[in-house]
Amino acid sequence: MEYLRVKKLKARLVGISVMSVLTFALLGVSAPLARAIEYGGFGGRPAFPRADNPRTESIFVHTLNPGDVQEEGVLTVNNSAERKTMLVYSVDSTPSTGGAFACEQLSETKDDVGAWITLEKSEVTLEPGTNELVPFTIAVPTNASVGEHNGCIIIQEKKEQKGEQAGMSLSFRTGLRVAITIPGELERKLEIVGFTVTKRDDGSFLLQPKVKNLGNVSIDADAQVITRYFFGLTHFTHGGQYPILRGDTSDWNFELKKPFWGGWYRSNFIVEYDKNPEAGVGVKSGKELTRLEGPSVWFWSFPTPAALAIEIVILLALAFGGFLFWLSQKRKRWIKENWVSYEVKSGEDIKSLAERFDVSWKLLARVNKLKPPYALKTGEKIKVPPAK
Amino acid sequence: MIRKALGKLNIAIALTLAVVMTGGLGGATYVLASSTSNFTQTINAGTLAVDIVDASYVTVGSPTMAMTAATFSFTCQTITGSFGTASQQIYVKNPDAADAGWVVSLAASAPTAVWNSVGTDFDFNEAGSAGCVDDGATTDADAFGGQMTVNPSAGTLAVGQCTSCVVTNVSKGSSAAFVETTTNSITVLTGAALSDDIGDWKLTGVSISQKIPKEQPAASDYNINMVLTITAS
Repeated sequence: MEYLRVKKLKARLVGISVMSVLTFALLGVSAPLARAIEYGGFGGRPAFPRADNPRTESIFVHTLNPGDVQEEGVLTVNNSAERKTMLVYSVDSTPSTGGAFACEQLSETKDDVGAWITLEKSEVTLEPGTNELVPFTIAVPTNASVGEHNGCIIIQEKKEQKGEQAGMSLSFRTGLRVAITIPGELERKLEIVGFTVTKRDDGSFLLQPKVKNLGNVSIDADAQVITRYFFGLTHFTHGGQYPILRGDTSDWNFELKKPFWGGWYRSNFIVEYDKNPEAGVGVKSGKELTRLEGPSVWFWSFPTPAALAIEIVILLALAFGGFLFWLSQKRKRWIKENWVSYEVKSGEDIKSLAERFDVSWKLLARVNKLKPPYALKTGEKIKVPPAK
Repeated sequence: MIRKALGKLNIAIALTLAVVMTGGLGGATYVLASSTSNFTQTINAGTLAVDIVDASYVTVGSPTMAMTAATFSFTCQTITGSFGTASQQIYVKNPDAADAGWVVSLAASAPTAVWNSVGTDFDFNEAGSAGCVDDGATTDADAFGGQMTVNPSAGTLAVGQCTSCVVTNVSKGSSAAFVETTTNSITVLTGAALSDDIGDWKLTGVSISQKIPKEQPAASDYNINMVLTITAS
């Protein structure tokens, strides 16, 4: 009796354990796989983004008339683990290589948007995980020209001078673009000025399209390079939406990994942009986009070793198949040209004829298109191999 | 009847145990009773940032860039180096702060900067004679030869800590040399509008070369201040 109770208790415990493990595993798996992502660093973001332009969440965008004054603010942020003193200043924009947007240095003379901005503070000290609003004004001069003008609000860590140190010393900063459009006759026009494909030492290719902005405002262009196989199937598409600054030529470096199969490939460059005057920085006109197509560039890529092995096997199989086909055609032709007509005599059937002419009965049936049960009538004429 | 009841009890006990275990191991806190109901949580706004970090993504306090050693020479010479190594990676973070794209660029702290020394300086943005000799152009304020070339396209780009992120739509800049007034800033990385809105990337192996004019005096204190900027565009 005692033994039975202990046995039952054991069984119950095992049951509880199994159920616990199973449920635990199930709950563990179905629980959201949340992982903390640490967003360190310091910088800033626009303090007053507008609902009508999502772009204002990351940059400052305004359409202002000459003489206007715009109140704005930048939220300086310190997400690092230590107290930081940061310089906050405005500068003009400058084109970086490839036509990318960049900001001038603090040491450079300001004569555009950088000079229009007056910040209430030039320096903030923030404890870890805190932020502070720095208000500023944008005062557009009365002689500002029509079109888009760009500048930056910069947040840069203030570092103590450690004296002259040999080598290259680095500073880091975060810039927020300030795009001011002065209304008037705004021109939005792009032109494709080049597209090259360069083979690199590792077998990959560098696809470099170039686009020039001929207008007086920046344009967010959707630049795409589509690489196709010889037969037209798409192999890879590179690209994205990039701002092309007024008067600048933008170029991009898209890396195409060495194609696995090798062979001839063709890359096409396509640009789409909103040419309509209602469009602006972060604003779409909702009308049809203008599409520009650049020249096609053909290039050869040698197959990878694995692809080469596969291709050789396929080629050999194809060659062997072709040889067999050629052989069967040759035999058919020989049969057609050399087999002679024969009249079936009484008592002869396909088997006896096959033996007599030293040929397989299947071949005899196939050549004479005989169907099962392959019966032959006396006097019927069939084709047989020539007598040896 | 009793067996069935015991079976149901098994399930109930197992479920309770599993919930407690999952909660405990998952770090969850169960509030069984409380006289207050004020729970506050602050998530500070993320910001676009560029930095030099080590393999564990910890900021490197004093990043360095090793270049090949040069000796005094009667001819113009080139030294090379690599910007961004496994232990000093160029690190970009976009915590949903620049959905329309961003640009990382490298520039000197001033276009008029030079490799400064107690002795004779040399330039980083002289265009004359392939960077070897000052051409006396009025656009270049100084009278020194020397030119720095940066080739980001030679580097290796990879995603950082964000395992679900991709390098698609993030492109490296072309090789370019600094030229005073015309090329003051060199694009290192560009994130297109379709790049991951929340993501981080690391770049290593950006090739740097510097032309050193002929007969440049030997010294160990040449220094220059460079600025790496990430801009929401």
